Amino acid sequence: MTITPDDDFAAAEYALGTLAPVERATLAARRLREPELDEAIRAWETRLAPLAEAAPEIEPPRDLLPAIEASIRAARPEAPSNAAVAALRRSLGRWRAAAIAASVLAAVLAIGFVAREMSRQSVPREYVAILQKDAASPAFEVTVNLDKQELTVRPVAAHAPPGKSYELWIIDAKLGAPRSLGVIGETSHAANLSGYDPVVVENATFAVTVEPPGGSPDGKPSGPPVFVGKLTPVEP
Amino acid sequence: MTIRGEAPGRRAPAAAGDDLAGLLSRIAARDAAAFAALYRQTSAKLYGTVARILNRGDAAADVLQEAYVRIWERAGEFDPLKGSPLAWMATIARNRALDEVRRVRPGSLEDQPESFEPAADDVDPLAARARSEELARLMDCLQRLDDEKRAIVLLAYYRGSSREALARRFGRPVATIKTWLHRSLAQLRDCLAS
Repeated sequence: MTITPDDDFAAAEYALGTLAPVERATLAARRLREPELDEAIRAWETRLAPLAEAAPEIEPPRDLLPAIEASIRAARPEAPSNAAVAALRRSLGRWRAAAIAASVLAAVLAIGFVAREMSRQSVPREYVAILQKDAASPAFEVTVNLDKQELTVRPVAAHAPPGKSYELWIIDAKLGAPRSLGVIGETSHAANLSGYDPVVVENATFAVTVEPPGGSPDGKPSGPPVFVGKLTPVEP
Repeated sequence: MTIRGEAPGRRAPAAAGDDLAGLLSRIAARDAAAFAALYRQTSAKLYGTVARILNRGDAAADVLQEAYVRIWERAGEFDPLKGSPLAWMATIARNRALDEVRRVRPGSLEDQPESFEPAADDVDPLAARARSEELARLMDCLQRLDDEKRAIVLLAYYRGSSREALARRFGRPVATIKTWLHRSLAQLRDCLAS
């Protein structure tokens, strides 16, 4: 464990629920990339969880079970139609096995890394990320060409809820708050990355949130990310 | 020991594979009947958990629904060595509720006065009749905190109270609440580890 005392307090407050919204969102993004932090949060959840036993029961609204059963049926991930994505998914398997073992309760999300390494000197500098909700359901494919400073995001098996839009964000400590890369339509969406340091782009977390139609009204994510991923270099 | 729900008549007959851990392993194998049984046995407990945090019935129902979908998806990840099935499920539900109540949005909720139910409604785990060993141990450690500091931890846990809401309620600066939280949590961690 290399976690700092400050991070352990943040983990404790995350589990207890007292972090302010931005702190909570920041920690939720960090835990996806920092296994020690993720482990610390889980440890705190385990410490506090027995309290749940003492929560007095309240009967939920009737008819909720059929609604839940219906959304479980609807949530079955669609098979990706694209052969390239299918190949990427297969290569994800090994990483996932390790990730699942390391992060059983990975909060809202699991990140999809593409477990293909490339040699440092290979060009062009192309990257891909699969944004996922969980290990079984890739939702968006993000491709980045750092030489052209271009990003393309394409829905794989994601459809925005009725009356909502999906919005893509780039998240990195060096950027401060999440920055919008635009609203994702039904087909694909391109964004220009010329305003970003390539090193930041390489290491950033890409996240998709559910927003009002046309995107976040105030330039900030309206809710927690529903799909998250990081870039991995593509072999030439 | 696993607490299943305290209301009499809710308990299912103790058939093999019908306790919560057994149901979770059947759910991991995509057993829809086991899922329905799990829901019947645990939904009032989980709804009690999220509704106290959210204070709004429609939001609580949505969060409960999402929590059960997640429980269905992740049933195979439940590890009995890390706590009871109910604790595992409640953590999932509570996290969803906290994500909702701590959403990043304009004019964030923490700036708004938070309405508290009368203190009598606040949960007192000491009054819980049936306690697992884990809860008894945690309560033993919580008992060692000052009354006010224990109340802060419990309000944060059961009501999802923010630091700001706790500062208002206890008439202390937010920075003091944060310091108290850190000290209390460190004390709990050390006590539980001993």
